[in-house]
Amino acid sequence: MTRRTRRFVVASLLVLGVGVGTGLLAYLSFPTSAFTGPGGPDELRYLPGNAHMIAFVDVHHVMISELRQRLRATMPFTDGGARRFQDETGVNIETDIDRVVFAVAQSLDGSQTGQDAALAVVRGRFDAVRIEASLREKGASVEWYKGRSIFGAPDRDAATDATSRDRGSELAIAFIEPGLIAAGSPSLVRSAIDRQDGGASARGNDALMKRVRELEPANLWAVGRFDALTARANFQKGAVGPLPAMTWFAASGQVDSGIRASVTAEGRDEEAANALRDLVRGFFALAKLRGSSQPALGSLLRAVQLGGTGQTVTLSIDFSPQMLDALTGSLSQLPRVARPRRGL
Amino acid sequence: MTPPSFWQAALRVFDVSMGQMLWSRRSVFLGLLVGGPVVLALAVRASVILDIGPPGAPRPGGPVLFGLIVWLLYIRFIVPILGVFYGTSIIADEVEDKTLTYLFVRPIPRASVLMGKYLAYLACTSLLILPSLTLVYLLIVPIRDGSVGGAFPTLLADLGMLVVGLISYGAVFAFVGARFKRPLVAGLVFALGWEPGVLIFPGYLKRFSVGYYLQALVPHAMPSESATSILLRVVRDVPSVAMSLWSLALITAVMLWVASRTVARREYVLEQ
Repeated sequence: MTRRTRRFVVASLLVLGVGVGTGLLAYLSFPTSAFTGPGGPDELRYLPGNAHMIAFVDVHHVMISELRQRLRATMPFTDGGARRFQDETGVNIETDIDRVVFAVAQSLDGSQTGQDAALAVVRGRFDAVRIEASLREKGASVEWYKGRSIFGAPDRDAATDATSRDRGSELAIAFIEPGLIAAGSPSLVRSAIDRQDGGASARGNDALMKRVRELEPANLWAVGRFDALTARANFQKGAVGPLPAMTWFAASGQVDSGIRASVTAEGRDEEAANALRDLVRGFFALAKLRGSSQPALGSLLRAVQLGGTGQTVTLSIDFSPQMLDALTGSLSQLPRVARPRRGL
Repeated sequence: MTPPSFWQAALRVFDVSMGQMLWSRRSVFLGLLVGGPVVLALAVRASVILDIGPPGAPRPGGPVLFGLIVWLLYIRFIVPILGVFYGTSIIADEVEDKTLTYLFVRPIPRASVLMGKYLAYLACTSLLILPSLTLVYLLIVPIRDGSVGGAFPTLLADLGMLVVGLISYGAVFAFVGARFKRPLVAGLVFALGWEPGVLIFPGYLKRFSVGYYLQALVPHAMPSESATSILLRVVRDVPSVAMSLWSLALITAVMLWVASRTVARREYVLEQ
């Protein structure tokens, strides 16, 4: 080999090494939360700017986590539904889905003022042709919108108009770019396609994004207005009575060999935050009373810490692998409920 | 003095052929070919930084753009073209330069000449294409908040896939070069006619192409914008990764074996 050839080989390997080395370094310092950019995952740009709540799940990391592998070994799940889903769509939930972002926002349909709608944007590896064929087989309606097919619920009658198509209960699905599916309310799916060309997205919602940036690295999180949460959960009418006036909540969790999670709620003022702390302490006291007779519950309660100052209330949870092993062990020892035999 | 073993002879031929292959006139053209995506990546990066571009045009993120470049430029065009130009030249150049006799009169198996030159082809094309892809990755992926770290596994998969593509196409075109009189024409017809053609038509014909198995290794989703891609998606029938790897290994092994037999048995007539 001549000197000139050797120089070329060295230069070529150097470029390759620098490139791969840079990628490797970035990968190793890449937070496991898949906060894929400085302002959260890239898919946030498809979520509506008026979202009350946004959430993120790094499905890939959760699926390959040590905790999930151990749970699968100790508590075998039946995966008939997942297998059927894979047979129909070619999507293996375990391996083909990378991450999901989710938003709850006011419906964009004018006739449904005040009603909330949801949108999920799923990043992964999908066989678009197979999924589309499966949807068509099931009689899904197809709407062509800005060069994309939006699949909706089957047409029930010819009189269906745009307004009735956007009923909150209806689901629409579209491939908005290679490897990216939007699913949810038809109007929000259309707006996600619109946002491909830019426009107001959740990334421009400073109140939401400020709280997203404050989160610890995590592979699942949710941030939203507290009233959006309580309206859905209908807490006010529940047994807990009226809740203190809280404004925002932020929850994040890191699933690896154990689970570390924290939930932060912001009160309208210090008084509201103190009231919430008192409420949570009351729950703890009640649970500890029950925990004295149930060791598993007792150890769970010891892993939960209440904190926060001023207007914020924080609940931190740290379930170690040993604690989860003990919990799954005690769950597996629970007597199975006998199913009544057919005809009895 | 004992003659060298098959692999010793192949490595000696590799050593001699590497420089010849790398500094041929062909390499200047192919250097420009693999430099094209880097120039394109620089232009895209500059347009994003300067925020220039037609209003209302789609603005995909960096990882998606990288996927499009890998799919449309590298897999569909550059890898087959590198395979054609270098692969067919493995034996054909020696015939054309009338230097084949000098190699064949050496006390080494004829097949080791083919193998040594095939290994030189692999090293040469890999050293051209892999740094090019790495530069494109570094330039394109960070666009619009794309993560270099997040896309790193994809880069590794892409690098591996390109090497697999070069191995397979090289074996096919090594056979074409050893067997046919005008191998470049036959190779170009195969790479630019047969390969994309059979992928479009439904049926089993596509199984007789390298591209059919190579596309199953692509970690990126196939782009859906162009009319051809939409047509491809309609008839798309992608084999599993394991089946693709086995098939490509089989194609490579069979083609190299047939090429070796051709070189070993054929009487090459060097035109005076």
